[in-house]
Amino acid sequence: MSELRKDPIVGRWVIISPERGKRPSDYASRKTEKKEGFCPLCPGNESLTPPEVFAFRKDRTDPDGPGWNIRVVPNKFPALSSEGETNRQCVGIYDKMNGIGAHEVVIETPDHGAELPNLPLSSIKKILFVFKMRTEELAKDPRFRYIVIFKNRGLEAGASLQHSHSQIIALPIVPKRILEELKGGKRYYRDHDRCIFCEMIEQEAQLGMRLIEENKDFVSFSPFAARFPFETWILPRFHASSYSTIRQPQYQTLAEILSSTLKRLDEVLVEPPYNMVFHTAPIMDEELPYFHWHIEIIPKVTRVAGFEWGTGFYINPTPPEQSAAYLREVALS
Amino acid sequence: MTREKSMKKILVVDDEEAIRSLYKMELEDAGYQVETADSGVQALEKLETFCPDLVTLDIKMPGMNGLEVLGEIRKDHKELPVILCSAYGEYKQDFTCWASDAYVVKSSDVDELIETIRRIFKEKG
Repeated sequence: MSELRKDPIVGRWVIISPERGKRPSDYASRKTEKKEGFCPLCPGNESLTPPEVFAFRKDRTDPDGPGWNIRVVPNKFPALSSEGETNRQCVGIYDKMNGIGAHEVVIETPDHGAELPNLPLSSIKKILFVFKMRTEELAKDPRFRYIVIFKNRGLEAGASLQHSHSQIIALPIVPKRILEELKGGKRYYRDHDRCIFCEMIEQEAQLGMRLIEENKDFVSFSPFAARFPFETWILPRFHASSYSTIRQPQYQTLAEILSSTLKRLDEVLVEPPYNMVFHTAPIMDEELPYFHWHIEIIPKVTRVAGFEWGTGFYINPTPPEQSAAYLREVALS
Repeated sequence: MTREKSMKKILVVDDEEAIRSLYKMELEDAGYQVETADSGVQALEKLETFCPDLVTLDIKMPGMNGLEVLGEIRKDHKELPVILCSAYGEYKQDFTCWASDAYVVKSSDVDELIETIRRIFKEKG
């Protein structure tokens, strides 16, 4: 029989449908198509991108030329403009504001065919450092309230280019999904005087059935009320509400668990398309005792259709306990 | 130098005949020498025979789409200005578009396109 499970943070219900019994091989045929052709993110094509706002580059190489290892550029055709004021207004029952924001692209490697988890750990650490550094820089702009870091891999996940890259978008409002997590975390904290994410980490570590991997600082697991097959979260084991609090040696331990978690997904689902999103606290000075930054990785192996759109329920045909077991069993070299 | 030789040459690529005719008329009125192509394949041929100074390129075309044509153009013509013209704004999310110099929403009002062409020629000298 299927089971209804409630997400303890946002209160969203999902249908876990084990009798559908979807195994990894039922999804694994959706291997990401490799699109070959001209790539504007490759070295030598720097003139086609907006001027870089940051780069790790070899000594004595010029900005906006080859010789970089990681390069950050503004989006050439951004959905939100960095010029002007937000000018929020009410029109009757409706709210609106100018489309102000910032949109940066982090080109993670000069190697067109390289994938994030297969990069050397030293490179992944630098990418994680760049995320933090650019986040802090964008957070200085008083017009922005929230900064989201995300990565799309594969066409089905919205990536139009194979060249490995992530994106950072600064927004003038806090997104609804984050507000729901903040609200849920606050409610739990008020009732229990504890961070719900910290409780979740403790419980998952004790139970072990949804646990994928853990190291000194981080843990990865399939959440109890996973919306999607092989949905995977990575959380710091220490309490921190904002990604911008990350420090060395945590870059190293995060790079390790991120690389191995993505390698496990690649192995089990045969290089699936996925979305990876950093959930972090809104821009503010104070540390929130009720929110806990984390990374959500959603492999795009099922489609969201009418039922999900119409109800907010998700049907997950692979129980998270099974997903976690498959991922745990991967032997990493 | 004759007037024709000093005119900048623009190749308009679009599968819709009405758009090709409109753009040709308006761009010629604006002082450019214009050639048209109705497909990606024809565009790549005319790139070699017409030798344009700038290309306006539709994205949604049967056969080879504009982004594929753009990729082919960039293999041998990295500096050639290309303006993507599409009625579909969502293509802007596609990083392949970055290989272009500008993105203009296709319209019967070509003022924005002409402004963009002038800006690019000014920037490129």
